[in-house]
Amino acid sequence: MEGLVLLGQGVAHFLTPWSLFNVIWATLLGVTIGILPGLTATMGVALLVTLTYKMAPDQAILTLMCVYLGAIYGGSRTAILLNIPGTPANAAATLDGYPLARQGKAGLAMGLATTSSTLGTMVGIFFLAIIAPVLSEAALKFGSYEFFWLALFGVVISGQMTGSDTPLKGYIAGILGLLIAMIGMETLHAHQRFTFGITALGGGVDLIPAMVGAFGLAEILSAMKRKAVAQVVPVNDRVVPSLKEIFQYWRTIIRSGIIGTFIGIIPGVGEDVGSWSSYAAAKRASKHPEEFGKGSQEGLIAAETGDNAVVSAAMIPTLTLALPGSAAAAVLIAAMLIHGIRPGPMLMVENAPFLYQVVAMLLLATIANLIFGLSLTKLFIKVLAVPRERLMAVIYILCVVGSFAITQRMFDVYVMLIFGVVGFLLREMKYPMAPLVLGIVLGDLLDLNLRRGLALTNGDPSPFFTRPISAVLCAIIVVIVLMSIPAISTRVKGIFRRGAEGRPARS
Amino acid sequence: MQDNSDARDEGVRARADLLTALILVGLGCVVIYLSWTMPRLEARRIHPSTIPGLVPFFLGIGLAFCGGLLALRSWRIQAPGGWQGLFGLVKTREALRVGVLLALALVHTLVLVGLIPFWAAAMLFIFAFIMIFETWLSDGPAEPLKSALWALAIAIVGGGGIYLVFERIFLVRLP
Repeated sequence: MEGLVLLGQGVAHFLTPWSLFNVIWATLLGVTIGILPGLTATMGVALLVTLTYKMAPDQAILTLMCVYLGAIYGGSRTAILLNIPGTPANAAATLDGYPLARQGKAGLAMGLATTSSTLGTMVGIFFLAIIAPVLSEAALKFGSYEFFWLALFGVVISGQMTGSDTPLKGYIAGILGLLIAMIGMETLHAHQRFTFGITALGGGVDLIPAMVGAFGLAEILSAMKRKAVAQVVPVNDRVVPSLKEIFQYWRTIIRSGIIGTFIGIIPGVGEDVGSWSSYAAAKRASKHPEEFGKGSQEGLIAAETGDNAVVSAAMIPTLTLALPGSAAAAVLIAAMLIHGIRPGPMLMVENAPFLYQVVAMLLLATIANLIFGLSLTKLFIKVLAVPRERLMAVIYILCVVGSFAITQRMFDVYVMLIFGVVGFLLREMKYPMAPLVLGIVLGDLLDLNLRRGLALTNGDPSPFFTRPISAVLCAIIVVIVLMSIPAISTRVKGIFRRGAEGRPARS
Repeated sequence: MQDNSDARDEGVRARADLLTALILVGLGCVVIYLSWTMPRLEARRIHPSTIPGLVPFFLGIGLAFCGGLLALRSWRIQAPGGWQGLFGLVKTREALRVGVLLALALVHTLVLVGLIPFWAAAMLFIFAFIMIFETWLSDGPAEPLKSALWALAIAIVGGGGIYLVFERIFLVRLP
C-alpha cells in the first residue's frame, strides 16, 4: 500500500509543465538518436550528461531516462525501413521488420514495434515496482563478502552472455575493465596504483569520458568506416495497428516481457541479449515458426517487447545494488552520483521516493514514445535521410565537449580519445563493450570488498565460501565459467539430451 | 563466392586474435610484475592480505591466462593467407577513412583546441570533415560546390550552436 502511495506521488511529481517539456524534447531527441545508424542509446545518454549537469537531479535523470528509452525504441525504425539496426538492441527486429516493410507493410511494422515497445516497458515497469523494494531490503543484509561476489558475478555473467565470438573475449574485456578501475588511489589504504607519476591519474579514470570514447568516438569510427547506407523503404500503409493485431499475440508479449525483465536484472547484459532471447523463445513457441525471418509479426513483437522490457528491468540492479543492468545504466549511475543520488541498498532507506520517481519517469517516457511513434512517422523518416558525413562531424565535437565539461580537464578529452581508438579496435575484433564498462564500474567495489572482507577476518577467506548467499554466488560463478569451456558444456548438454531421450523409452 | 569471403574474414580474424592475445599475455605479465613489486605498506602494519597489489595481481594472472587460451584457440584455426590478409587491411579504403578521421580528430583536439577559440576549432573541424568525406573519400559521385555550401552552413550552425547552447544557455565551460 505504501508502495502504491509512493508510486502515485512519483507520477504526480512529474506532472508539471517543466517536467513534461523535458519529457517531450528528451524523448524526441532519444528517438532521433536511436533512428540514426551509428548513434546508440549509451552514446546519447553519455553525451547528454553534460547538458543536464546544471539541472535539478530529478529533472536530469528524467531527461536521461527519456533519451535512453527513446533511443532503444527509435532504433526499430531503422531496422524496419533500412534493414540496419539503429542501435544494437534492434538487431533482432531487422529479421522480420524489414521483410514486412518490403511486403508493403512498413507502417504496420512500425505500429507493431511501437506498441510492443510500450507493452515491453510496461511489463518491465511492473516488475521494477515489485522486485526493487524487496531486493533493496534483502541487499541491506549483504556484507563485504556478498558484494565482492556480486561484483565478480556481474563481470563474469556479462562476459559470458555478451561475448558473441567466444566467452573468452567477454572475460578478457571484463578483466581489462577491472584493471582500468585499479588505476588511481585505492580506497582502503589511499595508495596510488599504476599512476606512473601522472598527477591526473590519481583520481582514476572517470567513467563518463571513458564511455564517451568507447561508445561515441568508437561508434563514429565504425560508422564512417562502412559504406553509405541503403535506400529507405517507402511507407504507404497505416501506422496505427488494430487491437486485434496486437493482442492476438498476448502470450508472446507477456513471455517476451518476462524474458526481457530477467535479462535486465542480470548485470551488464543489456537490451540486445533481451531482444535475441525473446525472439528465439517466441520462435520455439510459435505455431508458425516457418514465418520467422520472412516477415512474422509475432517475431517483430517479441524482439521489440524484449529489448524495451530490459530498459525498465535494468533499473532493478542499478538502483538497488548499484550494479548496472546495461551499459547505458552504467552511465546513469555516474549521472546519479554527479547529482548526489547514491544508488545501492541504502537508496530505499535514504531516498525511497526516488525509486518510484524512476518508475514514473519510465512510464512518462514510454507514453511519449507511443504518442510520438504513432503520430510523427513522416518526421522520423526524414531523420533517416541525414547523411552521416554531416552528422558525425558534429557528434565528434559533442564528444569533446561531453568528456571535458564534467571536470573541465583536457586530460579527460585525451582519455576519451584513447578509449575511442581502443574501443574501436576491440569492437572490430568482436570484443563486447558491456563487460569492459561493467569492469570499470565494479572494479572498486570488487577490490574494496575483497580486501575489507579479508581485513575483517584477519586474512581468513572462509566467510567468502561459507556464508549462504556468498556460497550460492560463488557456485553460480564457478558453473558459469565451467559451462563456457566447450568440452564441459558439450558433455553436460549430452547428459541432459540422453536423459531426455531415455525418458519416453522407460515409460 | 560468399563462402570464400567468409573463410577469408575468419582467417584474418584468427590471426588478429592471435596477435591481440600475445599482446594481452604481455600486458598480463607486466601487470603481475607491477603488482608484485607494488609497495606492501609494511611500515603501516597493514595485514598482508589487504596489500594494494592483491587484486591487480590476480587480474594480471587472469588476463595472461585468458590471453594464453585465446592465443591457443586462434593458433589452432587453419588460416591460410591470414597474416597476409591482416596486414593487407591497412591498405584498404576503409583503413584510409578511419586513418583520415583519426588524423582530423587529433589535429582538432591536440593542436587547434587551446591554440584558437573552441568555436573556431569546432567550425574548422566540421568544415574539413564534411568536405573530405563528401568529396575525396566519398562513396558516390562528388559535388564539391554543394558539399562546400553544406559544410560551411553546418560548420557555422553546428560549431556556433554548440558554443551557444553549452556555454551561454547551459553555462557549461568549454575547452
